Amino acid sequence: MEKVILVRYAEIHLKGLNRPFFERLLVDRIKQALNPIKANVTREQGRIFAYGVPEEEIERCVDRLCRVFGIHSVSVARCVEKDWNAIREAAIEETRPYASGADGLTFKCFARRADKRFPMTSEQICRELGHELLEAYPNLSVDVHHPKLPVTVEIRQNNAFVYTGEVLGAGGMPVGSNGKAMLLISGGIDSPVAGYMIAKRGVMLDAIHFYSYPYTSERARDKVIELTKLVARYAGRINLYLVPFTEIQLTIYDKCPSTETTVLMRRLMMKIAERIAKDTGSLALITGESIGQVASQTIESLCVTDDAVSMPVFRPLIGFDKEEIVEKAEKIGTFETSILPYEDCCTVFVPKHPVTKPKVDKLRESEALVDFEPLIEQAIAATERMDIR
Amino acid sequence: MIYFDNSATTQTLPEAAQRAATAMTQGFYNPAAAYSAAYAVEKEVENARSFAASLLGATAQEIIYTSGGTESNNMALFGSLRPVRGKKRIVITAVEHPSVFETANAAADASGAELVYAPLKADGTVDIERLGEVLTRDTAFVSIMHVNNEVGSVNDLVRIAEAVRTFSPNAILHADGVQAFMKTDLHKLPVDLYSVSAHKLHAPKGVGFLYLRNGIRFAGGQIGGGQERNLRSGTTNVPGILGFDTALRTYHANKTAWHAQMRRVKMRLYRNLITLPDVVLNGPAAEEGAPHILNLSFLGVRGEVLLHALERYDVIVSTGSACSAKKQGKNRILNAIGITGARQDGAIRFSFCPFNTEEEADAASNVIEGQLRFLRRYKRR
Repeated sequence: MEKVILVRYAEIHLKGLNRPFFERLLVDRIKQALNPIKANVTREQGRIFAYGVPEEEIERCVDRLCRVFGIHSVSVARCVEKDWNAIREAAIEETRPYASGADGLTFKCFARRADKRFPMTSEQICRELGHELLEAYPNLSVDVHHPKLPVTVEIRQNNAFVYTGEVLGAGGMPVGSNGKAMLLISGGIDSPVAGYMIAKRGVMLDAIHFYSYPYTSERARDKVIELTKLVARYAGRINLYLVPFTEIQLTIYDKCPSTETTVLMRRLMMKIAERIAKDTGSLALITGESIGQVASQTIESLCVTDDAVSMPVFRPLIGFDKEEIVEKAEKIGTFETSILPYEDCCTVFVPKHPVTKPKVDKLRESEALVDFEPLIEQAIAATERMDIR
Repeated sequence: MIYFDNSATTQTLPEAAQRAATAMTQGFYNPAAAYSAAYAVEKEVENARSFAASLLGATAQEIIYTSGGTESNNMALFGSLRPVRGKKRIVITAVEHPSVFETANAAADASGAELVYAPLKADGTVDIERLGEVLTRDTAFVSIMHVNNEVGSVNDLVRIAEAVRTFSPNAILHADGVQAFMKTDLHKLPVDLYSVSAHKLHAPKGVGFLYLRNGIRFAGGQIGGGQERNLRSGTTNVPGILGFDTALRTYHANKTAWHAQMRRVKMRLYRNLITLPDVVLNGPAAEEGAPHILNLSFLGVRGEVLLHALERYDVIVSTGSACSAKKQGKNRILNAIGITGARQDGAIRFSFCPFNTEEEADAASNVIEGQLRFLRRYKRR
């Protein structure tokens, strides 16, 4: 009686003629997530099954699959022949661990008969199986409204599957089904969450980070690498571009009005990000900005930042409160790393009273005070690429 | 490299490292074993214990070897409080090392004891005149650090002990001596418990001791094979203890000269830097504080930024205790002595060892002056 991992998919259900494309992509993502375990991953009628996962690895594999976008939920099922006795035995086995408790657990049987050639109807299967389980474990009882233990039988084309319960997945669309975008990652709480949210829509990620060597530490840099790794657990492989930003920063401070330094810095970051994005096939930029969170994220500042680039800028957290972002960061597991307290390039030199309502024209003028082009080229030339997975 | 972060840790002396290596490769026997090779090791450890005790005017059995300062502080606090029943008060200062501060807070939360902070003076020392205000009859435990690890203020343990004996005769008095041992002139301990860490004295990491005065009520510790008078079970850390012993003997033999050398370097650096614009001293007057710790604020720069800027020129300093360098938020110790805002943001701790030189102080001053001039162009305007 082999154990298999049964995967239900999320939004792909809503797809029409191109559904097989999404299914194939999801199968690929599942195989990558299970790597190095070589499972036999197959599609069957609205389900994906992973056969051949060694039993001691199953728990770890389920955990990994729960981070694969496109998956609605996962169950570990016993795969048996489509024979009533086999199904009955599997259900009794499957229920055994729950049956030993002193105060009897409540259960309910569910059946899904995809193969209509099977001689019993779903209703008959449920009734008979309920009877068998009550016989086998007299201290269990049935509760059809609020069962503690759902026992499910699925009759499919080639096999029957018996399982108890399911684990919710991450939802969304398989990564790669929606092109690629470049995440500006700072080391704070917001940007990893923003990356997660866009990746969830099937977008492949690259990431870009600006650092101010020697004024920011190696720990700050490693923290960003670590955060990118945490995002990659969901988003798959990420190219991380590390851009030295000190020269540009110092030039801004030397040559431009001091209240505008932060917004100018952001404009230049966006410009560099856009150039690398264009060269590497990303179609949009992603930031963790949320309206009004800090001076550089007022609606006026966002307009000024947007003005620096022509690419679309995705800001999935735009309407989120800090508290909501923190909650999400905790859920996806990036929060603890994000709050490590190292100076980052944005905090190294900051004006005491940054402008909160910058004007596009004014900022363009200030930016024109310096020929940034050579500095931008120099920064891009010195950019380091890391393959994060 | 100019290493001015000796309060974080020191370089192990070659002879101490050698002694530890020999203890690992040759005299590696478990001193608790029955055969004579093991007994030889035990005698070496007991010799080390006697020597360490002699430096504090203590007896050998009053020295309990531990893994270092943090363990000693934890053991001191919990061991003293455990036998005390009923309502009790704990008195510490707000500038203690986290291994006292957090431990006391945890103990107070767990046991319902009342935790009170002793009044401080602006230089970071305890205000002894006002100490009586917080010392009650039901005070069970008082912990006051001997030398502050961030600003180098030195507490007068003799007078503090007098106050504690007067107002709180039942209290056990502990002092965290991690930054003080061998660096102050104290020949007879006036306290009941005293914590020491080896690696601040050019010895290996992972070893230290707790001085535990004979006859005080003390309970618990680590349970197991009964080593260290049944207070700290666990196989004896022979390499650590013997490495520590060698370092201590060297330190002791050179103590006067080494103090003077650290003081010279400190004063040289202080005089060089204090004349620069917007540099402020934190803690006690430079000539009064501990010989090896100097804390200055460079207004208009952020400590961490200056630290990394200096690092590029091989000048190693710190923004505060390494034990809090990775913690979020403000510097608790500077807050407690009223150093806030730009003065706190720009605070740098320099800590010295006897091998630092005045030439190093001059070279470091030059680098600091240059970096300060450069960074201040970009200060918050």
